[in-house]
Amino acid sequence: MLQNSWLIPLFPLLSFVLLLIFRKSKSEGTAWIGVLLTGLSLILSIGVWISVWQGDGIKVEGTWFEIGERAITMGYEVNPLNALMLVIVSLVSFLVHLYSKGYMHGDDRFPVFFAYLGLFSFAMLGLVLSPNLLQLYMFWELVGLGSFLLIGFYYFKPEAKAAAKKAFVMTRIGDVGLFIGMILLFWQVGSFEYDEIFASVRNGDISSGMLTLTALCIFVGAIGKSGQLPLHTWLPDAMEGPTPVSALIHAATMVAAGVYLVAAMYPLFQASETALTVVAVVGGVTAIFAASIGLMQKDIKRVLAYSTVSQLGYMMLALGASGYVAGIFHLTTHAFFKALLFLAAGSVIHAVHTQNIDEMGGLWKKLRLTGPLFLIGALAISGVPLLSGFFSKDEILASTYADGRYGLFWLAVVAAFMTAFYMFRLFFLVFTGKPRGDQRGVHESPSVMTLPMIVLGVLAIVAGYLNTTWFGTFLSDYLAGGPVELAHGDHHGPGWIPIVATAASLLGIGLAYLIYQKGTLSGDWVTRSLPGLSNVIYNKWYVDEGYDATFVKGTKGLSKLGVLFDKYIVDGLVAAVVSGVQGLSKVGSRLQNGQVQTYGTFAIFGIVILLLIVALTGGYFT
Amino acid sequence: MNTWLLSILILSPLLGVLVLLFTPSQDEKSIKWIGILGTLFPLGTALVTLSAFNKSGEGLQLAEKFQWVSYEVFQSNGDVSYPIFYEVGVNGLSMVLILLTTVVSVLAAIASYSIKKDWKSYFILFFLLEMGMIGVFASQNLFLFFIFFEITLIPMFFLIGRWGYLEKEKAAYSFLIYNGVGSAILLIAFVAMFMKTGTMNFEQLAYTFSLPQSELSDMNITKDFKMGMLIALLLAFAVKLPVAPLHSWMVKVHVQAPPPIVMLHSGILLKIGAYGLIVFGAGLFPDQFESLAFIIGLFGLINLLYGAFLALTQRDMKRVLAYSSVSHMGIVLIGLAALNEAGMTGAVFQVVSHGLISALLFFLVGVLYERGGSSQLKDFGGVAKRMPIFAGVLLAGGLASLGLPGMSGFISEFMAFLGLFETMPVLAAIGTLGLILTAVYVLRAVLAITFGTEKELSNAHDLSSTERIPAFILLAAILFIGIYPAWLSDMLRPTLDSILLGLGG
Repeated sequence: MLQNSWLIPLFPLLSFVLLLIFRKSKSEGTAWIGVLLTGLSLILSIGVWISVWQGDGIKVEGTWFEIGERAITMGYEVNPLNALMLVIVSLVSFLVHLYSKGYMHGDDRFPVFFAYLGLFSFAMLGLVLSPNLLQLYMFWELVGLGSFLLIGFYYFKPEAKAAAKKAFVMTRIGDVGLFIGMILLFWQVGSFEYDEIFASVRNGDISSGMLTLTALCIFVGAIGKSGQLPLHTWLPDAMEGPTPVSALIHAATMVAAGVYLVAAMYPLFQASETALTVVAVVGGVTAIFAASIGLMQKDIKRVLAYSTVSQLGYMMLALGASGYVAGIFHLTTHAFFKALLFLAAGSVIHAVHTQNIDEMGGLWKKLRLTGPLFLIGALAISGVPLLSGFFSKDEILASTYADGRYGLFWLAVVAAFMTAFYMFRLFFLVFTGKPRGDQRGVHESPSVMTLPMIVLGVLAIVAGYLNTTWFGTFLSDYLAGGPVELAHGDHHGPGWIPIVATAASLLGIGLAYLIYQKGTLSGDWVTRSLPGLSNVIYNKWYVDEGYDATFVKGTKGLSKLGVLFDKYIVDGLVAAVVSGVQGLSKVGSRLQNGQVQTYGTFAIFGIVILLLIVALTGGYFT
Repeated sequence: MNTWLLSILILSPLLGVLVLLFTPSQDEKSIKWIGILGTLFPLGTALVTLSAFNKSGEGLQLAEKFQWVSYEVFQSNGDVSYPIFYEVGVNGLSMVLILLTTVVSVLAAIASYSIKKDWKSYFILFFLLEMGMIGVFASQNLFLFFIFFEITLIPMFFLIGRWGYLEKEKAAYSFLIYNGVGSAILLIAFVAMFMKTGTMNFEQLAYTFSLPQSELSDMNITKDFKMGMLIALLLAFAVKLPVAPLHSWMVKVHVQAPPPIVMLHSGILLKIGAYGLIVFGAGLFPDQFESLAFIIGLFGLINLLYGAFLALTQRDMKRVLAYSSVSHMGIVLIGLAALNEAGMTGAVFQVVSHGLISALLFFLVGVLYERGGSSQLKDFGGVAKRMPIFAGVLLAGGLASLGLPGMSGFISEFMAFLGLFETMPVLAAIGTLGLILTAVYVLRAVLAITFGTEKELSNAHDLSSTERIPAFILLAAILFIGIYPAWLSDMLRPTLDSILLGLGG
């Protein structure tokens, strides 16, 4: 099974190629090509995962090309961490393919959409299987391409065009960090291989300053991809893409790649206390920052997008606080419940043809499956006990506390409260109360869409039992087989932590209930009492505007300045050269005046100069 | 047959000229067919040459050498004769560039379907240009190199000035003046080297200049002389590459010349600058080159960022691509400045990769002009609807240009930066800013054309089957190098190794 794991990414690649060939086909049966091939990837991934669970692993490599004496290799590797990722990615990809068959029904470019999904899945699975940083980087960029193409799928919409461009450029800023970090490590270690890098780190071959520098550079890459502060602005805009794309790429897989990168390079981060602190602080601040924006958004997908940013911040916080298992655990559970929430949101949008929650309401009775499934997702992300999010969030809080980062701990608790609040604000506004928009003809989505949601719903409930103190810490035992030394073991924080976490989430739900369901409290008391703050939050802390006023305007200004420089100074140089040549030629042509006396004078003048040279140099001037 | 192979290759474009001489000048269809077939013959010959070429072999291969002219100089200790040879040969580097030349020539000939007048003289000049380019890369002495170098200038001048766009004459003169000044400097440097050493052969020159200073003093060759020569050579080839601020002629040519000619110009002719820097700069004066490395790197950085910044706000697609070329040639310079195997390989990869990518992009600009009668970004929008294949290829070309992994642009950028980070990490770190800017300007320009609200075009139809041939071949070549770089790097290694040996690396 393991020897064939290289096939896992190739199935979706085949799907991409086939669907591009059939791109003009009007038949929506083309979707089955994608579904079938990602299904094969899923089966193989599960098989690989089972083998790894039994303690197997594999690493195969060959020379790609050589630079001098050094061979640059390519290959594939399976270890506990990436086997888990393989299953998550191929599962969500498979379910999203299936769901899209219903969601994209009637689209002009139906096969193209599935082709792009295939390209993305190929890149994401390839990224996960990479045994070295360079190969990871290559797939990392291709993943970005997949994301770009899918965000810009509705290419004729100006918003989609802008969002696709923004996503590519913002993540590229991060990618350059990864690029630099990777090259610096290469010159320290002499290789891009994870194993060799970790060996050098263990042996202390790299100075501590260099360790911190490279870890931070690599983390910049993770910041870009995972939408962390300050490079988060592309992720909410990425919601311009079709909703299944948001579920697959911008919730479950690609944005988690940043977290995966930090986890895959964990021994490097562990070697630098500074790097870990930066990871933890960026994660913690992002968690609460994005949650605060989520409180006031009106677009159902944007609320979920900010929620994703916030949850990714949680994962980073966990990794920074030495909670390796907690971070990956939350990555897993989040993939399921967030994909579920997005697909459910897609189902709602599919039914009411709007994304504005002010135009929804009272959909619980009309969407008999979507409603309860959305509720499961909301409960899971809020951290209500017994659902998956509860266990993984609890683990993160415990790790943060055990690591002595008390400030970040309380920040995370507040963020948990906010999460519960905005999720249930969303739930009540969408599913309860009276319809606020035209809801004629609203009906439940077809089973091809609800089926993937049901699967994810089940996983959103049970995935938490992968790692509990009640039944067993299966996940951390499993991950202990990987290259990362889990020095701290499990973080069993004080017993009051789960109680505080639960209280925070119930408080959030309760408050949302009182405001948006009961109407006991008025929703706008904050807006009224703190108009300044709420305005800032509503406008997403003006980050986009700030970047526009500084970086974008600055770059454009510099470019304009360059254009002027080029036009007047550099072209001026040209004009000078041209007029110089012309002037010279005028002098030359004036000499051709037919007067033998002038010619003779010049001839003698020339001979004198030649003789002088000969006399001075004493012969040949060799 | 191998003894004459290279000479046949160099002269092979003349067959097309010969046939054209007997073709009526009004017969457009036949002329264009002869144009394409006439470039296929050199391509075939180049492939035969490639198969005769031993990829792992070191030194010069398929060399030919005959005495051409000789003249006697009277000196006190007796007559000294200075023979001038016709000597050609190929190593890995020149083999690769000759192959690139012949491939791009075929595709440019296909793209010449858009030429509207005087087809006969157009193709005659086209073939002469191709011969010049092949000759430049095959020459093994200064004299021959210079002759072929000049041969490329003349057809190019007429091709721009006669078949170009509105301000074609101005562009042609600008081209001639700048390149003329460059050639003049080159000629002076070549003559001075010949006078001092008595040889024009590249290998002998490299050997002579590598002698210890005590022996060189007997020939009156001082360190300052070597440095002076190097600076002269760098200056001459900096015009050709071009290095900012000597780039304005090249922008004019990019904008005014007909697209197939720009494919050749941007794809091959600019690369003569890079080739010259490697063969004459690093190859003949390694020590001096090493001491100037930082300055070369600095100029590379300036090119990279200056080009990228200017490409950001251009309104004409051709100008975007012109400044993009300036920026990408910066990568060649920083790769060379790294003075190590990674950087040097990156520089040569960039030469090949940019040749393919810019040929592809300029081909597509030609198509765009054909469809909309303009290359202004504001005249286009939403092209992806009516011309999905065109839009897809344009996006792919753009992505290759911004260095997407899996395509040739990534390998060259990656290796050039890998090399520079070893020797000049700070310069390299600043240079990575260029990677971001490239993404911004490429996507801005490409998406302005293909995405967004659709704008009416006078003649919107997707790539025809004729147009798909160059587009797909170039794209395939870009992907091939991106996925399987070993094919190229293996061929280049012996040549680059010997240059690096001189650099003490």
